[in-house]
Amino acid sequence: MRHSVRLRKARTEPTRAQGTPASVRNRLAAVVALATLVFIGSVFLLAGSKSFMMPGPLTSAHGSIADCKTCHTKSGDGKLSWLHGLVAGDPVADSKACLSCHKMPDTALNPHSASVDILKQSTARLTKTASNLVVPQSVRAQSIAFPVDGMIGRGLFCATCHQEHQGTNFELNKITSEQCRSCHAVKFDSFDGQHPEFESFPFRRRTRIIYDHAGHFGKHFPEVAKKEPGMRIPQTCASCHDSRDDNGVMSVVAFDKTCASCHSDQISGKERATGPKGIAFLALPGIDLASIKTKKVAIGEWPEDSEAPLTPFLKMMISRNKKGRRLIAAIEPLDLQDLSNASDDQVKAVSELAWEIKSLLYAMITGKTQEAFGDLGIGAKLNADVVGSLTASLPRDVLIAAQQKWLPNLSAEMTNGPGVALNLESNQSTVSAEPATPEEDQDASTEEAEAASIDEPVDYGPAPASTAPAGSANTSQKTAEEGRNPQACIASIFGQCLLLKSDGDTADNAQAEEREAPQNLQGAFRVGLGDVRAPPKPKAQSGGITIAQASPKGGKGPPSAVGKRNATNQNDDLLFPSDAELRALNAHRKKAGRGARDGRRNPAAAPLAPGPETSPGNRQANAAQSASIASDIDPENWAEHGGWYQQDHAIFYRPTGHKDQFIFNWLTLTGPKATLGAANPAAEVFDALTGKDAQGSCAKCHSVDAVKGRGRTINFPPLSVAMKQGRFTRFVHEPHFNVVGKRGCMTCHNLEKDRPYLKGYEQGDPLKFQTEFSPVKKETCKTCHAEGRARQDCLLCHKYHLPNVTAPVTETTLRSP
Amino acid sequence: MAGVHTLKGAIGRRDPNSARGHFRTIVQALLFGSISAMLFWLVAAYGNALRDPRYLDGWVLAGGMGVQLYFHVATATGRLTPKAAARWRSLHIFFGLLLVPVFLLHSNFSLPDTNFEWALWIAFVLICLSGLFGIYISWSLKSRHMFGDDIVLDRIPEERAKLAREVQAIAARIDQAPAASALPPPPHDAWIRELYASRLIGFFSKRRNAFSHLIGSKRPLKQLTDEIDHLTGFVDKRGQEKLRAIRRLVIEKDRLDAANVALGLSRAWLLVHVPVTYSIVILAVVHILVVYSFSSGAY
Repeated sequence: MRHSVRLRKARTEPTRAQGTPASVRNRLAAVVALATLVFIGSVFLLAGSKSFMMPGPLTSAHGSIADCKTCHTKSGDGKLSWLHGLVAGDPVADSKACLSCHKMPDTALNPHSASVDILKQSTARLTKTASNLVVPQSVRAQSIAFPVDGMIGRGLFCATCHQEHQGTNFELNKITSEQCRSCHAVKFDSFDGQHPEFESFPFRRRTRIIYDHAGHFGKHFPEVAKKEPGMRIPQTCASCHDSRDDNGVMSVVAFDKTCASCHSDQISGKERATGPKGIAFLALPGIDLASIKTKKVAIGEWPEDSEAPLTPFLKMMISRNKKGRRLIAAIEPLDLQDLSNASDDQVKAVSELAWEIKSLLYAMITGKTQEAFGDLGIGAKLNADVVGSLTASLPRDVLIAAQQKWLPNLSAEMTNGPGVALNLESNQSTVSAEPATPEEDQDASTEEAEAASIDEPVDYGPAPASTAPAGSANTSQKTAEEGRNPQACIASIFGQCLLLKSDGDTADNAQAEEREAPQNLQGAFRVGLGDVRAPPKPKAQSGGITIAQASPKGGKGPPSAVGKRNATNQNDDLLFPSDAELRALNAHRKKAGRGARDGRRNPAAAPLAPGPETSPGNRQANAAQSASIASDIDPENWAEHGGWYQQDHAIFYRPTGHKDQFIFNWLTLTGPKATLGAANPAAEVFDALTGKDAQGSCAKCHSVDAVKGRGRTINFPPLSVAMKQGRFTRFVHEPHFNVVGKRGCMTCHNLEKDRPYLKGYEQGDPLKFQTEFSPVKKETCKTCHAEGRARQDCLLCHKYHLPNVTAPVTETTLRSP
Repeated sequence: MAGVHTLKGAIGRRDPNSARGHFRTIVQALLFGSISAMLFWLVAAYGNALRDPRYLDGWVLAGGMGVQLYFHVATATGRLTPKAAARWRSLHIFFGLLLVPVFLLHSNFSLPDTNFEWALWIAFVLICLSGLFGIYISWSLKSRHMFGDDIVLDRIPEERAKLAREVQAIAARIDQAPAASALPPPPHDAWIRELYASRLIGFFSKRRNAFSHLIGSKRPLKQLTDEIDHLTGFVDKRGQEKLRAIRRLVIEKDRLDAANVALGLSRAWLLVHVPVTYSIVILAVVHILVVYSFSSGAY
């Protein structure tokens, strides 16, 4: 009832007030309201752009953004489409629009853009560290009034901290300490107040470079100064550390300017007293050929005198596929040089290994290294550049020289395949399962001939045994001799003799030949050569250069033809048998029932097969061997400046110096698979290159980190700002240099000599370490960074986004006119 | 005469210069300061808690404006009793004053950047200044003890007409006094009627000397009372009594004129205050729609 009266009163009074000042005022108010409505409506409908709605100008960095929908994704193009923003949609759509330019990981909208795991770890650590801190009342009140838990749970918007439209000069990335504190579980008043003490700043892990400051300054430098007074000894920290290039870290000055004067020779191997100075890359491992022969397993041609082990690199190449891995696993428990107790299967595996090695060598020589490497078991096919890096551009000539020395009939073997017996008359042993039938032999020879004619690179070596057994034997004998007697050369390149010794050395050569004659060879060297007579001593030629005497017909060539031959066309006729010798050899073959077949296959080969050496191509190929320059320098020392050399039954690589790409690439490639303690080829390669006595001595200074589940990493790159990504704390050294006083760097970094710094590197975990320097103390910083003095806000030392926020490079397409 | 007494009685009430008035002012100032400080802290804490503080102070501002608008609506619709209206008026003023710091917070103590913001800013400033002017006028009237709250502007013409009638009656009355001598008596009544005809009819006919009242000048009143006083010396005792009565009525009429000017002003500012309030309500609604449409989630 009262209500109805009141309503009636309300309805009647305005009517009664007609003509009073109040009614005038109300009418005026209605008119003004209507005018406002019309004006606003007109503006919204007629305005050309939406800029009139902006609450303020954008910052200069965003000043070029003209369209609202670039950032406000729901605003659309229509006059009133901006109202779509009121409709619930993807709450982070606008933040994603930010991320289309500012590239960040998927965790961008997490606090600190960090992963949940990192946040949990950090929170747990800080909570533990600062459990006794007194939380200021104002902060406590703020937490109660405006809790942020819900906000963090759903993900933070970019606009939570970066609020735009505040003017062109507004600092978008400015965050106050109070804002930081609102989220943090650990809340304190200020840095000079309750900020937690530093735990072990700046050390979060052991140093990547192993450098014993105490040892160097206390022992090594004084010794060097005493021994070599002229040598430059670092005097101050700045001698080795510099922050000018990268002011985020005190980087170490380049190796060449600091460590090189003392440590270069360790890398190149000059200082190495024992063991090879090069890294054995490829090798023909020593195999117990007698046992192989006993088991009647086909292994083909193989050097008997090799005692080389199977190199880790070779193991890795072989185990690039499933078959190879099975093979490596099968031979792993065996001693290849003593197969007397090996089972048939194991011996068969050894045979397969031998053929695999031959295939690899053959493929590398024929330019198919990339195919031969496959993916090296890392899961991704290696491209040509990577393969080139992993072989350090291994010269073909080195491979050829090695092949000529080790497996002179490789081409034929690879053409005919395993099981084909080759009649070799050298120190090379041929182990066959059973003799080939005439038909097979003929076919093989035909194929071999075709291969030799088509695949020119393959035709680099001595003649196939099927066409010219005598010549082949001769050449094999010659290469074997060169390999065993490097002193016979005046000069050689990559282990290949270019020029023989002069007249005075001819007698030595003759003696050597006599020594190396089949009947004089010992043990395995005589396998398959038992009935072969020693060839007569060849005639020495003048000038220290031996010139081939054999003619294409097998007889002595005309003098004019001989005289026309230049050094590259010379042939090693010293070892070439005479006609009589060839006849004797043929007779021997006939006795063995093979002469007739040879005669049928190649009439030219019987009775005096000229041998392919006499052909122009082969003359050129063999020139380097037939005309060598003797040198007293062995291949290892010859390669003291780094590079490839061949010695015994292995091809070695000597590091070229600091930052050697060969070692770097192999370590980078194998590291992820080389889990600490693993017994796989990758780990063997990694161990071989980072071991205590490893060539290159990389791991002497570059620490190796074992990352759980991710293999191992050798720390080659120097510390940089990029490496500090993911850290909350930042520090710039330069502004502090003028406030450290007389103690300089020691003001903050106090060297503590008795700490077991090097012990930390005896294991793989980089987080288990002892520092040489004491951690920086908060008190040291507080002397300046305090109320009323230097800044002490959070962002001075801490950064918000853990991953770097980067702007993408503009995608520009050059259009053709 | 009764009206005069009523007017006089009303003028002494709620004197701001009284001890109670001072106490009320101090309490209000303290309350204003405390609430403002708390608002500042709240807004700062809101901003520190990873939120945009403009959303908090914006809603506080909008809420305050809503309360102010309710007062206007309630007054216009006559829902409030006079006593409740008086309380609401006090609250209206207090809230209005509180909204000033809130507005300063919301505008971030800076001038607007865009036309739309300028429109909002100007509207609020107009409302605020007109309101402050109204408060000043009210305080000024009270502090000068001219009249109280019971003077209603609408009743002033009626009061003025009443005074005019009284003056007319006094001036027109002829008192036949016995002759003291054979000489004819001086025409005292005629002189008073002449004064009435020449000066008082016009003075009492409508509001006079508005500008003088606006600037607080008493000069026109003094001129008129001086003329009456001058005539007093030439009239007999009965004439002197008449002139004293007329003088009092002239003073009362002058005070009514002053009240008319003052109360007129106190109503005139509402012609700015109220219509602009209607306008800012529309602008504020649009502003809120725009802000939330482009909020990007930060609030």
